[in-house]
Amino acid sequence: MIRPLAGMARVGLRFQLAYRSDVIMTVLALIAQVFLLRMVWTSVYGGAGQARGLTLEALLAYLSLANLQAFATTPIIPLIAHFRIRTGMVFFDLSRPTGYLPQMAAFQAGHTLGGLLMLAPAVPVVLLVGTITPTAQPLGYAATLTLGYVISVMMSLLICVIGFWTLETGAISLLYRLISQFFAGTMVPLSFFPGALGVLAEALPFKYMGYVPAAIYVGHLSGGQVVQAMIVEVSWIAGLAVLLWAVWRRAHRRVVINGG
Amino acid sequence: MAEIARALRLYWVLQRATMRGALQYRLNTVISVVTGAVYQGSGFAFVWVVMHTFPSMGGWSLREIAFLYGLRLTAHALCMLPLSSLIGLEWLVREGELDRVLLRPLNPLVQVMTKRMGMGQVGDLLTGVVLLIVAAPPWNLAMIGFCVPAVVGGALVEASFHLSLSSLSLRMLDTRALRGFLDDVFSKFGSYPMSVFGGVTQWVLTFVLPVAFVAYMPASVLLDKTGSLNVPALVAYGSPLLGVALFALAYRVWERQLRHYQSSGT
Repeated sequence: MIRPLAGMARVGLRFQLAYRSDVIMTVLALIAQVFLLRMVWTSVYGGAGQARGLTLEALLAYLSLANLQAFATTPIIPLIAHFRIRTGMVFFDLSRPTGYLPQMAAFQAGHTLGGLLMLAPAVPVVLLVGTITPTAQPLGYAATLTLGYVISVMMSLLICVIGFWTLETGAISLLYRLISQFFAGTMVPLSFFPGALGVLAEALPFKYMGYVPAAIYVGHLSGGQVVQAMIVEVSWIAGLAVLLWAVWRRAHRRVVINGG
Repeated sequence: MAEIARALRLYWVLQRATMRGALQYRLNTVISVVTGAVYQGSGFAFVWVVMHTFPSMGGWSLREIAFLYGLRLTAHALCMLPLSSLIGLEWLVREGELDRVLLRPLNPLVQVMTKRMGMGQVGDLLTGVVLLIVAAPPWNLAMIGFCVPAVVGGALVEASFHLSLSSLSLRMLDTRALRGFLDDVFSKFGSYPMSVFGGVTQWVLTFVLPVAFVAYMPASVLLDKTGSLNVPALVAYGSPLLGVALFALAYRVWERQLRHYQSSGT
């Protein structure tokens, strides 16, 4: 069980490293994004010491982290599944003795690892631009981020499976990416979201991929809030596991293999 | 002149045909338009959320920034609607498809431009025009007379970078990722008042990569804010001309590179 999955992870890793020039440009775009956010937020803060409980320094550190996290955790598997369902190659994935969902999850894990390797040279630049200092809550940060990553992978697995019905997940996965990044709080911390938008952002699970870990890192969330976040994350994972299992049981019975 | 008129007429005919082709996939068309609009809308949602707490950004109000955003987005859509086919130029070169284009008696660029129709850009255009109309100050004839060339000029500035970089792929240089990055920079930095950046960044975005000319300068003219520019007001009034000049230059680069095209032989 473990060996084939390690193989899939290796494929994911190589896939990421194969498109180096694309990744370099994506990393440059990431640096430009953090730079832009820094400029915009510094300008609007002006002389204000604090807004919504965040100093400018804490906010800039938050934004750098949230963007690094978003870059590293953006899922690739909906795109892979989209391509393989459209060309009929999903047949090969399904005929392997290892389950389809574990294969995809392993591929994603390898791909993320590759992304972290590519990201390594950019980290010092982003940290410098975003002025980040060590955190007082390393354990809470690592734990909430890891659980957030698991939620992110499970959500993208769900999109892959939806492809078995719609046969077309390109636009859905792009929409998912836009919506998840916005509600993860990569450009604005959730504490700034007004009214109903704030309530919605708090209720959705996307905040665990960006806002929650980054806010814990800079000390905006602490103590009981960290424990509470972890409990809710574990509940999300359990709920998504049940949902995935139920959807998958129906999905693989209605597989369509495109020929050609 | 007659040749340009013929090329434009044929462009219109061919582009209409590709559009009809794209419209056959109705659901895909709707999803593409919606995705384009959501993509651009989420960028503006950021500005809206920030300005909910902070009413002024670099001396501009939310409504003024919405107008700037709309102006840039409309220019961007106007640039990418005809040029979105350039995204596939690398593929045309690698597969030797460009040989066929060169054999036909019509301007090669017109033929490449009409290969496909980007439906996502229709979503960009819708969002841009809506923002432009909703956030605009009361219109008068002089403003309309400046706004139309300003949007076209802004589109041409962006188009000139896309065209000149794309033409390098005729020499087997893959510039797709670089073009994507530049597009990102134009989109992200072009939608804010340059006073937000200040100093070196503003200088670079004005004189090295002329992002400021796409929408910021024309918007400053239309909103009567030329006093805070880092160039004389006259330059801002003349900003649409830069697009024309840069595009003429870019077209020269394209023609030059086309002469050096060697078929891949496939």
